[in-house]
Amino acid sequence: MRVKTLKVIFSFPATVDAMAMEEYCGERGIPGRLIPLPPSISAGCGLCWCAAPEDRDKIEKAARDAGLRVGGVYELML
Amino acid sequence: MIIEVNAMGDACPIPVVKTKNAIKSLNGGGGVVKTSVDNEIAVQNLTKMAQQKGYEVKSEKLGEASFLVTMTIGEGAESVDDVPETCLVAPESAPRRNVVVVISSDKMGEGSEELGKTLLKSFVYALTQQDELPATVMFYNGGAAMTCEGSPCLEDLKTLEAEGVEILTCGTCLNFYGLSEKLRVGEVTNMYSIVEKLSGASLIVKP
Repeated sequence: MRVKTLKVIFSFPATVDAMAMEEYCGERGIPGRLIPLPPSISAGCGLCWCAAPEDRDKIEKAARDAGLRVGGVYELML
Repeated sequence: MIIEVNAMGDACPIPVVKTKNAIKSLNGGGGVVKTSVDNEIAVQNLTKMAQQKGYEVKSEKLGEASFLVTMTIGEGAESVDDVPETCLVAPESAPRRNVVVVISSDKMGEGSEELGKTLLKSFVYALTQQDELPATVMFYNGGAAMTCEGSPCLEDLKTLEAEGVEILTCGTCLNFYGLSEKLRVGEVTNMYSIVEKLSGASLIVKP
């Protein structure tokens, strides 16, 4: 049985924002990865940024610095 | 003595269990056991059980989901305890699945190459989240890069491999793309094995 852990999820209104987030964070070593949006969350884009909860502040700052639109921030067991 | 067993709606192996119990209640005195079931798999399981014990057996289809299996047990018949209470014929509701996923490109779908690469990464991640994992994930042509050094899918593929999923990459393709020394997950395969795996698959998934 797959073990689930608490994750922080950033949703985006558009796929271009999600993909730009991946590029921005990848270039700067900001933790997390792009995954399909969990079914329990509704957003414009079907991809989301997923990371450990302790990295939430770091990622929120990255999104602001990059000028990216974030739809919502959630904490889920995934 | 005639015993009627109602096993309508019972899942395997309950019809066999109920019938065995009815036969035991004859206490070696012989008799007829009539078992009602609602599917052909149960008919087959009961028939096989009777044949194993040497009982006379016949089955009748009474309706769309109604069958009657009649066993005649002779006096002094041997115990049925040695007949296993497991499905002799696998029920259709639990087929053995041999799902093979085929990845023939480093992107998913047509249109934007950038989006396609992102989609494929998401697909492979989503595979790791399935309750039922595929038996095999195979890579060929442009997909061969996904199992090699630098692939964004390596971590997820290694997770799948650790869970018992077979990861196969076409050797011809690795050679063509100069990746033979850069395989980082799974094994090298050839066209014969690819054809064999695809031909034997219960379901082929191609993103």
